[in-house]
Amino acid sequence: MSMGVPEIEDAKLLFIFGYNGADAHPIVARRIVKAKQKGAKLIVTDPRITESARIADMHLQLKGGSNMALINAIGNVIIAEGLADKKFVEDHTSGYEEYKAIVEKYTPEYAEPICHVSPDLIREAARAYAKAETSMILYGMGVCQFAQAVDVVKGLASLALLTGNFGGPNMGIGPVRGQNNVQGACDMGALPNCYSGYQSVTDDAVREKFEKAWGVPLSNKVGIPLTHVPHRVLEEKDEAKKIHAYYIFGEDPAQSDPDLAEIRETLDKIDFVIMQDIFMNKTGLHADVILPSTSWGEHDGIYSCCDRGFQRIRKAIEPKGDVKTDWEIISLISTAMGYPMNYKNTQEIWDEMRSLTPSFYGATYEKIEALGSIQWPCRDESMEDKGTPYLHKGGKFAHPDGRGKFFASEWRPPCEVESSEYPYSLSTVREVGHYSVRTMTGNCRALANLEDEPGWIQMSPADCEKLNVKEGDLIRVYSRRGSLITRVMPTERVKAGATYMTYQWWIGACNELTTPYLDPISNTPESKYCAINLEKIDDQASAEQFVKDSYESIRTNMGIDTAKKGV
Amino acid sequence: MGKQILTTCPYCGAGCQLYLNVNDGKIVSATPAAGRTNEETLCLKGRYGWDFLNDPQILTKRLTKPLIRKNGILEEVEWDEAISYTAGRLSEIKAKYGPDSIMGTGSARGPGNEANYVMQKFMRAAVGTNNVDHCARV
Repeated sequence: MSMGVPEIEDAKLLFIFGYNGADAHPIVARRIVKAKQKGAKLIVTDPRITESARIADMHLQLKGGSNMALINAIGNVIIAEGLADKKFVEDHTSGYEEYKAIVEKYTPEYAEPICHVSPDLIREAARAYAKAETSMILYGMGVCQFAQAVDVVKGLASLALLTGNFGGPNMGIGPVRGQNNVQGACDMGALPNCYSGYQSVTDDAVREKFEKAWGVPLSNKVGIPLTHVPHRVLEEKDEAKKIHAYYIFGEDPAQSDPDLAEIRETLDKIDFVIMQDIFMNKTGLHADVILPSTSWGEHDGIYSCCDRGFQRIRKAIEPKGDVKTDWEIISLISTAMGYPMNYKNTQEIWDEMRSLTPSFYGATYEKIEALGSIQWPCRDESMEDKGTPYLHKGGKFAHPDGRGKFFASEWRPPCEVESSEYPYSLSTVREVGHYSVRTMTGNCRALANLEDEPGWIQMSPADCEKLNVKEGDLIRVYSRRGSLITRVMPTERVKAGATYMTYQWWIGACNELTTPYLDPISNTPESKYCAINLEKIDDQASAEQFVKDSYESIRTNMGIDTAKKGV
Repeated sequence: MGKQILTTCPYCGAGCQLYLNVNDGKIVSATPAAGRTNEETLCLKGRYGWDFLNDPQILTKRLTKPLIRKNGILEEVEWDEAISYTAGRLSEIKAKYGPDSIMGTGSARGPGNEANYVMQKFMRAAVGTNNVDHCARV
């Protein structure tokens, strides 16, 4: 996020795009409510009536998969009505003319048949966004999990550039990151193209610095993203380019990744699969070796939260069983492979990382201890440098010329759209009580009791009526890739023809249905759009029995002998 | 005697600060702390999401011993065997197909930044590939 979480409540206008804070981040959503109470205007763009949409001044209930067209139309109105911040554009940006040329045709009237949002509402939203003293954009997976995602992110950033909403407090654009430490995994260089602190593996000077520190020559070839693994296993003919070993650390691709049938085939075909985790999970059923590690609560370290804040995690209890910390396990394997690693504690690792990463260098353990939270960049070890609440101060950007770059792109429809055979769209979403693949929340008694297998599919009342199904009925859902059984949840919050499921269920595993199509730049899968069909199940009693039996059988596979849920 | 441990919540990117209240080596509750982003509030996951550490075995169970698949079945082994087997197979595959035939992941969840740094260093320096990524995309 270019701003900090606390700043949300002081923006004069919040433009919330494809982000459902109430379900994904309740404590961030609290700031949205506070902003409203302090008098901020709220514009929500979402195909569903989310909690934020309910309290919004304007809700642009667009059709899923039309983000780019809507953003271009907003840019169009801002330019056409002379609402752009001309001085900011002139002093701090580049690429304005090219941007203008592309958004020119996206009048609200042009966008309406794509987005299903009225031209008046698009104009009203564009005016409010441009005119507010400080406008802040918050976005989530409703932007990122499309095959046209990076374009849309740049399009949102362009709206902020166009209106001068960078460089001060309570403005900017904020991707509200989903997993607790997804920001941190990126910060530390668990990415195929960069080391810690976003230092590129193709930059010779950077690579030489790391080669010197680590004492070995390093590859200058960008690695492959995780979402390319299935292709590199199932379709790659050249043995040398195939993936033959997969070291999976703290992830469960056999539940979380799109097109699960393909993932299972991939895991079975790879010569050697290592899984390192705290719980047995679906990926473990395909692993050749399983390395048990300590959990949150059992080890020390640092997480990075969504607004770039480094914060400590601390060991509270002794782990049970014969487990080791993750960094110890990796170090032992490394040493056994002839590259010794002998770290004594996490602080020693952190200090090595800092010494190689100028933008994090000032965030010492001592300083994090003293301040509680430090937002990077933090370059100086002295207590004077307390980090950076918001980025691009004074309108300075990370591009070599110091300018923010405009970007627009033509709208592209989703890769798989509705057809006569698959007449409904499906998007994956989150629910408040469960997290990610649910190995953690599903094993917490208070949370596990909130919702259980096989999960739900949100459908419009009109579609329920058409299919003659009611709340709680089991229903079959299928796509070109797979099928499953889940429960019907009729809700006025969704439009007819569109359906929504959460991805943590084993039986109602919506990733059996999702497509593996990727954004060409970020390689993020299009989890927010695929075509499905729905089929009423007449024999509900045997479907209920099927759900019960499947659940028991998966649990047995995971090593649970008896149902201990009541304990 | 009870003690309070200040830590960061392991759910979502909000970065809420909380106290784990520990009694006799067991967590008994979580209470909100005055963090920069949460200001003494917590959601239901922050309040009740620590129970998995007690391993109630509702869904699946904690892994407590290294396992190696032998003749199709996962069998418990000692750490020495698990490490030398893993390192041996990785070295074999690296020798046969080259370092780019190996893929590794970081973790966006519980392990923390230091473990991610060590993982990417391992993939880059010990294996010799930039094939390291994590679930940021899913």
